[in-house]
Amino acid sequence: MSNLLPTRRNGDVLSLRNAALKQSKALAPLAMWLPVVMLVFSTGCATYSEGPAASTAAVSGSAPQAPRRDAVLWSYRNAALALRAGRFDQAKAELDDAIARLGGILGPNKDAASARRLFNEEAKKNFIGEPYERVMAYFYRGILYWMDGEPDNARACFRTGQLLDSDAENKTYAGDWALLDYLDGLASMKLAADGSDALARAQSHTRATALPAYVPRANVLFFVEFGNGPLKYASGQFREQLRFREGTSSVKSAVIKVAGQTLPAPSYDDVYFQATTRGGRVMDHILAGKAQFKGATDAVGDAAIVSGAILGVTQQGRRSNADEIGAGLLLFGLASKLISGATNPTADTRCWENLPGHLSFAAAELPPGQHTATAEFLNAAGTPHRVKTLTFTVQPGRDTVVFVSDH
Amino acid sequence: MKLNLDRWSVSLSCVAVAGLLAGCASGVQNPRGVSVTEMKADERGFVAGTGVESQDLVRVADKMARGIVGIPQVVRAQGTPRVVLDPVVNETRFPINKDIFLTRIRAQLNSQSAGKVVFLARDRMTALERERDLKRSGQVTSGSDPNVVEFKGADFFLTGKLSSLTTRSSKGVSDYILYTFQLIDARTSDIIWEGFEEIKKQGLEDAVYR
Repeated sequence: MSNLLPTRRNGDVLSLRNAALKQSKALAPLAMWLPVVMLVFSTGCATYSEGPAASTAAVSGSAPQAPRRDAVLWSYRNAALALRAGRFDQAKAELDDAIARLGGILGPNKDAASARRLFNEEAKKNFIGEPYERVMAYFYRGILYWMDGEPDNARACFRTGQLLDSDAENKTYAGDWALLDYLDGLASMKLAADGSDALARAQSHTRATALPAYVPRANVLFFVEFGNGPLKYASGQFREQLRFREGTSSVKSAVIKVAGQTLPAPSYDDVYFQATTRGGRVMDHILAGKAQFKGATDAVGDAAIVSGAILGVTQQGRRSNADEIGAGLLLFGLASKLISGATNPTADTRCWENLPGHLSFAAAELPPGQHTATAEFLNAAGTPHRVKTLTFTVQPGRDTVVFVSDH
Repeated sequence: MKLNLDRWSVSLSCVAVAGLLAGCASGVQNPRGVSVTEMKADERGFVAGTGVESQDLVRVADKMARGIVGIPQVVRAQGTPRVVLDPVVNETRFPINKDIFLTRIRAQLNSQSAGKVVFLARDRMTALERERDLKRSGQVTSGSDPNVVEFKGADFFLTGKLSSLTTRSSKGVSDYILYTFQLIDARTSDIIWEGFEEIKKQGLEDAVYR
């Protein structure tokens, strides 16, 4: 009230104190209704928490409990951790669970519809991730299929991954994961099919470093990842815009050294680039509409409250309709402000934050038996930032898949 | 001060409260869960995607099994043709359990073709060879001379391929899958029979996922 200017009434200038008193009297009807309105508001808007209804730790038993709508997110995170720890069975189970949910999102979905409503935030939907996150789930599952001697199922995963990136608003960057096409072609070649088209597509997607030609006799496949993946945040007046922040890492490339061979493993796919080059989402338009509504109802509420207060103060005691209209405007303004406050255009920033920043690949021909390789993760100057030693056994008659991560 | 709460304030308050009730009430779907629903394998469930599902498996395997028992090389064969399953090749974008189609076809033929074809358990060769070696070494009894090779050779190979075409746009995703199965003469490499089935599905996810 300290910012109120002296109010003129019946030609007299009332003191600040008197004006405030009169206004508070004018707000008396509102004050009487306010507890009721607030009670309804607080009970009606009570956020329902599903609590730890679903455990995503079915396999590990050590992962945190998660609400059902975050189950896929935790499966993603657990899968990445399991993959890097060499717990491949757990990674498969987590990814299979997540992918089964991804495949079942077609058609009407009550949780999704709920997330579109004015008063619900986007994060109310069941998380399946942005396309780059879904692609990574399929990419990881493809690696595991190949590890199990099923290159055709691995290829299926890589193809689905590429498809998930194909409906980008910005068609320039639709379906442009270089490694997915490259591995699609390599798997085809391994299955005695023609992988040249896929290789050509992969080459057209490369940005910094050209992909190497296929080595038909290569029987050891190194899937390499390094750096940190993108993180999400919300911007805009009402946090309605989804944005990505690039993960920071000193590692810029990698080299695999095995049996006297040095295999370069530069970045063929940048996950941050993939996250940020798709253009807008359909959901962004929905959130923009919510934000617009929130802003408009807030402004209308302000105007109605101010108008109602002025009418209430200036017409108090005159027994005129304006007095009642003032009270009505105050209530209307309050309701509008409450609706504005309840409108939630916040973008969903739940994020698969333990993704890598870059993906790479290298292949070598090695004789059957046990081998030890060294993975050097290099900084921008080409100096090893981190070195890992890998021991693996090459089986005759099939590919040996080695997963290499700097995490 | 006399408060005159007439139609204006009352009605506006009602509108506000109703709006809040309608907008803010957050219900929970199926709070008690959904009890297990048993469905037929050839029935489309309420959880569906555009990929390979049980109803597709049943439909395809039924058609292939009927086709195989009707071909002249099987109907008029002298002796019972012996068939070995060769893994299906998956060229679709859907990772699948590739053995499941051939297993379903084999099971249907074994149960319904009254011995018109016999399948060889090549996927059990390791265990079979171990058993034979035990017999040969005298560690277990044998009903016949274990040194005589009795593992049968294949007359035919049954194999298949799953191919697909996929379209994705703002209007949804469409997946066409072509299932082809072949019976190949093991002696001549002739493809003596080929059957196919094609299934197309399409759908669109909610806008919050686009």
